Amino acid sequence: MKKRRLIPVLLIKNGMVVQSRNFKEFQKIGMVKTSVKRCSEWGSDELILLDISRENKYDLNRDDLNFVNNNSFIDIVLDISKSCFMPITVGGKIYSLKDIENYLVSGADKVAINTSAVLDPKFLDLASKKFGSQCIVNSVDVKLINNKYIVCINNGSEVSSYELKEWLKISEQNGTGEIFINSIDNDGRGNGFDLELINLVESNINIPVVCCGGAGKFEHFLEVAEKTNVDGIAAANFFQHVDQSVFLTKKILYEKNFNFREPRFLKI
Amino acid sequence: MVYCKKCVYPIISVNLEIGEDGICSSCKTFEEFNSLTSYDWEEKKKKFEIIVEQIKKNNKSNYDCVIPVSGGKDSYYQTHKIISDYKLKPLLVTYHGNNYLPEGDFNRDNMRKVFDADHIVWGPSVEVLKKLNILGFEKMGDMNWHAHCGIFTSPIIIAAKFKIPFLIWGEIPWDISGMYKANDYPEFSARVRHEHGLRGYEWQDFIHHKDIKILEKDMIWAKYPSDEEIVKLGIRGIYIGNYFKWDPNEHSKLMQSLYNWKPLEGNFQRTYRKISNLDDRYESGIHDLLKFIKFGYGRCSDHASKDIRTGYLSRDEAIKLVMKYDHVVSDDLYYWLKYIGKDENYFWKIADKFRDPRTWKIKDGNWIKENVDGSISSYGKVHLTPDEIDLFNKKNK
Repeated sequence: MKKRRLIPVLLIKNGMVVQSRNFKEFQKIGMVKTSVKRCSEWGSDELILLDISRENKYDLNRDDLNFVNNNSFIDIVLDISKSCFMPITVGGKIYSLKDIENYLVSGADKVAINTSAVLDPKFLDLASKKFGSQCIVNSVDVKLINNKYIVCINNGSEVSSYELKEWLKISEQNGTGEIFINSIDNDGRGNGFDLELINLVESNINIPVVCCGGAGKFEHFLEVAEKTNVDGIAAANFFQHVDQSVFLTKKILYEKNFNFREPRFLKI
Repeated sequence: MVYCKKCVYPIISVNLEIGEDGICSSCKTFEEFNSLTSYDWEEKKKKFEIIVEQIKKNNKSNYDCVIPVSGGKDSYYQTHKIISDYKLKPLLVTYHGNNYLPEGDFNRDNMRKVFDADHIVWGPSVEVLKKLNILGFEKMGDMNWHAHCGIFTSPIIIAAKFKIPFLIWGEIPWDISGMYKANDYPEFSARVRHEHGLRGYEWQDFIHHKDIKILEKDMIWAKYPSDEEIVKLGIRGIYIGNYFKWDPNEHSKLMQSLYNWKPLEGNFQRTYRKISNLDDRYESGIHDLLKFIKFGYGRCSDHASKDIRTGYLSRDEAIKLVMKYDHVVSDDLYYWLKYIGKDENYFWKIADKFRDPRTWKIKDGNWIKENVDGSISSYGKVHLTPDEIDLFNKKNK
């Protein structure tokens, strides 16, 4: 039997973890290293680490801390994977098979591909043939435009020509192993997940789906668990607002008899 | 150096983001809070009252909550809210790092006279403190690491020991850098403590030094409880600033009139405000001078930025104050050097190692940097060895 997964997402902008609102507004909240350690200690089923830097600059902006100041995203991945006790999906700025390989040898278990896939769906095909579809996640960001879910690229800044249903078919045909669906409209609002969107993805595809976008309280996770069949529930900002957040969320899901692993802390 | 167009913060300020509009995240968060309507505040208050009800319902025989207090105006405000407005029985917990100013001593001890609350004052021995001052300064350019650690750790240790599930903190970190929004309701966390309070260092980094001997037994006040223990007891740290409008100037006036709270009698040398940091002589003094040495801005920039936002100062007035105060070498330097038994040369040789190349340049053997008013000034002689100067210039590239 497959268990459902609870997944913290860390959004990395210029080397630090940020909160995001609608992919447009950001607030720095801290160090990647500590957040990864906390997510591990809270017994997260998996971690999604996304580089959302607009420019190629990675800097903690100071040198007096007891943290290594990594100047590239790959160095960040290498650094955190040494003390990471959960599978990691790494995404952001993946343009070539070489980029995928670099992440995989640096500690990533899976990679999340968005813009490059939409611009050339064959890239997914090549990637899944070379590395196996089990490690190729298609990260799909959508915006509701005129009542239609439209796939967006380049950190949500550009609208693609694909409507969601059409894109999902293409993505699956090209060997994608998993869909990571995120609602740009709900991102950072804390008003709950877009259940209609999640169900739409679920019913149009046969591969695992992880949903994200909108978590603002524990009840929102229960809603998704109850009203959809999604394989994984993910959140970024929410898990940074209270301590032991992933553990506490999982405890609630587990105690309500949803099919998640029993919550436990890891000693690291 | 890029500065926020609205306040006087440089982009190098801790965790600050400056948007494409030139306005910093701290100003934006303040604006968001400032634009909340009385209806919004009423809703927030209701959320707090739900927590209070929860505390009252579940607790009959124990302290209702821990309030971490230094004795400052905010401590008084938190305690006032909890006791006078909500009729709870708090346990006050103070970390004592032996840095109190006389006014701060008075305010701390006065709390037990003016409030019906028990009070635990806890801190390491002065002998251990002196060692921690030296090690903190040498490791990270901050003699006050012990204070950050004690303030963020001792209250939750006491909460766990007495099985008290709520800690009522005051202001939220958003005021400094704009990390959160009004609807985030962030709570106290081990992560924020570790990286923002303790800068990534833990008590383990302070024991087993070859010259300076500190034992594990000396650091009990610094040992954070385990996740298991915290979750088992259901301990949560709530920031009261999430639920009530935060205006330090107003708080201090109210606390002076209600409880005889005392502001500083004289003047600080490094800032114009007299209502902050009375619990720690270095906080507005050399601890903060080190912030200027590292990043090129100081406590006056913090206070002036807040006061621009609340409308107490114009940006032009603020810039004049920053130019007057931020770089001042205050007399507590000599008090501190006597305390730890070192000379002034020791201070500058170590302090200079922490100059940040994002702010500073070396010209003709002097430290120079750009100021908030656009001018460039020299701020004294470089105390580094030729090798250290090479390293600095390499980093600067």
